[in-house]
Amino acid sequence: MAYAAEVKNIVKKFQSVTAVNDVSFSVNEGEIFGFLGPNGAGKTTLIRILTCLMKPTSGQASIRGIDVVKHPSLVRRNIGVVSQALTSDLDLTAYENLNIYGKYFDVPKKERKESIDYLLGKVDLKDRAKDLVATYSGGMRRRLEIARGLIHKPYILFLDEPTIGLDPQSRRVIWELLQKIRKETGLTIFITTHYMDEADVLCDRIGIIDYGKIVALDSPANLKRTIGGFDIIEVTLGNFGPEGMEKLKAMPFVKSVTEKDESLRIYVEDAAKSMPVLFEEFKKTGVIIEYLAIHEQTLEDVFIHYTGKTIREAETQKVNFFIGAGAPRRMPGARI
Amino acid sequence: MRALAVSERDLKRFMRNPFVIIASIFMPLMYLVIMGNSFQGELKHLPVLLVNQDSGPYSRRVVELLQALEDGPRTLEITRENDQKKAVDMVRDGFYKGVIIIPPDFSKNVVKNVEPQVGLLLDNTDSISAGSISGVVSRAMAYLKADYLAVRPDRATPQLRSIELYKKIDYDASLVPGIIVMAIFMGTTFTGAFSLVMDKFLGIHESYLSTPLTRFDLVAGTIMSGVLITTIMSIIVMIGGLMITGIKLAGGIGTLVLLLVTMVLTALGLLSMIFTVLGRADHPRIVGVLVGFLNVIFYFPSGAVYPIESLPNWLRAFAKVNPEAYAVHAFKELILKGSGFTAIRGDLMFFVAFIAFMLCLATLTFKRTM
Ligand SMILES: Nc1ncnc2c1ncn2[C@@H]1O[C@H](COP(=O)(O)OP(=O)(O)OP(=O)(O)O)[C@@H](O)[C@H]1O
Ligand SMILES: [Mg+2]
Repeated sequence: MAYAAEVKNIVKKFQSVTAVNDVSFSVNEGEIFGFLGPNGAGKTTLIRILTCLMKPTSGQASIRGIDVVKHPSLVRRNIGVVSQALTSDLDLTAYENLNIYGKYFDVPKKERKESIDYLLGKVDLKDRAKDLVATYSGGMRRRLEIARGLIHKPYILFLDEPTIGLDPQSRRVIWELLQKIRKETGLTIFITTHYMDEADVLCDRIGIIDYGKIVALDSPANLKRTIGGFDIIEVTLGNFGPEGMEKLKAMPFVKSVTEKDESLRIYVEDAAKSMPVLFEEFKKTGVIIEYLAIHEQTLEDVFIHYTGKTIREAETQKVNFFIGAGAPRRMPGARI
Repeated sequence: MRALAVSERDLKRFMRNPFVIIASIFMPLMYLVIMGNSFQGELKHLPVLLVNQDSGPYSRRVVELLQALEDGPRTLEITRENDQKKAVDMVRDGFYKGVIIIPPDFSKNVVKNVEPQVGLLLDNTDSISAGSISGVVSRAMAYLKADYLAVRPDRATPQLRSIELYKKIDYDASLVPGIIVMAIFMGTTFTGAFSLVMDKFLGIHESYLSTPLTRFDLVAGTIMSGVLITTIMSIIVMIGGLMITGIKLAGGIGTLVLLLVTMVLTALGLLSMIFTVLGRADHPRIVGVLVGFLNVIFYFPSGAVYPIESLPNWLRAFAKVNPEAYAVHAFKELILKGSGFTAIRGDLMFFVAFIAFMLCLATLTFKRTM
């Protein structure tokens, strides 16, 4: 069986930046495949290559076995796209937006009308269908654009950070919507995000992308499992030196220890059982516990494990980089 | 057909934001009113100083002639001044457009017949007024000559008589073909390629570049809606222009049809030309600069305000490829003279060739990727 999407050694360079750096993966038919990465990781660039909006510098990519560079017009008939920026026409009503978009795909009139009715119901915009999109909220506009991406019954739907800028409630609505559509139609969904919870809840498989490279790729559960340790004890310690560190790492239940600024992250199998032993040890050696928190492994930890930083840090770095010398070239659709 | 969907989207958006269309109808009409009244025929009320240093009889005759100019066509507004130096200073400081000086020996020289001269000092920074003053004063002097030299018919001053071939056309009426072309030009700058530039600028183009729309669909679709909007605009401007100037269309239904054809072809020609120029632009500021430039280089050497025949050679050569020149010619023939098809056949043929060439170029240079 052909893959829904197959990517082999894709590289995309802009002047000095390598936005996508030798990426390979494949998406199975009917799955929700996610790309998780901070700002500037190369998510949008990758989607643009797969949706024939940009040509790769090198490498191959195909949708349903059709090469995106050689047969772009054939690929375009098979894909639906919800881009990162909001792109519906503000001066048109929701109905008009969908109707005209359907015409771009030569969807026959009767079928178009049925599709619009069905999709407007699905995204819960039926009673606002005749209102100008200019009067919509961000979440409503995003739902409309998801409907628009489905008007021609595509084989695969691409969504680039579809919940960015939405409140938790609206985000959940969109997750449920996507899951429902997938269940009903068997649609393949390719989504990018920089929200951990979104990737975790929604995706069957996730690729973690940083600086244009895939650093890990698996199901959320497997990703969490492979980094080992099930609980994390985060502590800030006083009177704690390299010797103490050696001892800590040597303890049988400690899987690994990572240092971050002032605090330590101690990966253990079971926090409830290990804590008393740890406390005892600290007391014996005169170590003072200044701060302590326990949490279960999340994708955030997976991200830290593979990239050495939190996704928020990665974003701050990016922002600092932007503020630094030389403004970046205006990037269409970089913001919402 | 997909291109029609592109047009439909474009038209709907314009219908929801009619301001720019209304402004673009209003502006050429304002231009007609302002231009038509600013340059109405000869200049009037030009302030000049008169320094009369001669007390003889002939200088009085000169003053009488100048006064006749002041009272009759009101070309001049004369103020007397005795101090020649002060008069010259006042012209230099811009209070007057010129000084007419009658020297002390003027009457004597007339009697002796040794080339009597009147001094004329003009503010050359305002060349139009200067030319006009110099013209009327020389004419007055010619009358003076005629008074005294009437006995010598071989020296009689030649008289100028202009012959009106068509019914008398006022200056502001002759501007009407020009403002129709101006309306078409304006229409073609905010429709057509500009719609796509705005989409690019707003990042909206991403939504349709991932659809099966071809380059041709996009180019043809936006040009079609542009032609429709622009033609409607130019019809309204023409009706407004005819109402303001009071001209009645000379021809019948045939002329109306030809007018419509000329409007559509002009709109198509300009739209496809601008598409070629702007196909790759991604910022409205680029459009602003280019459009302002194109407007000047096409409008002024088009015959809309100044006859092409009087332009220097190189500009006349440019007018041969200037689409607006053909449009102005055709509209002049149809509106001012009521001519038929034969008079504008050349113009229409030019447009057909021009459109075919520009449409190909526009489609080829248009970039469909992001
Ligand atoms: N058109 C372009 N010209 C030059 N550089 C670009 C262009 N588009 C993207 N880049 C660069 O490529 C890198 C990846 O950008 P991309 O937009 O793919 O990131 P992203 O993962 O989608 O980020 P975000 O979460 O902010 O949307 C960035 O460093 C960016 O500056
Ligand atoms: Mg992005």
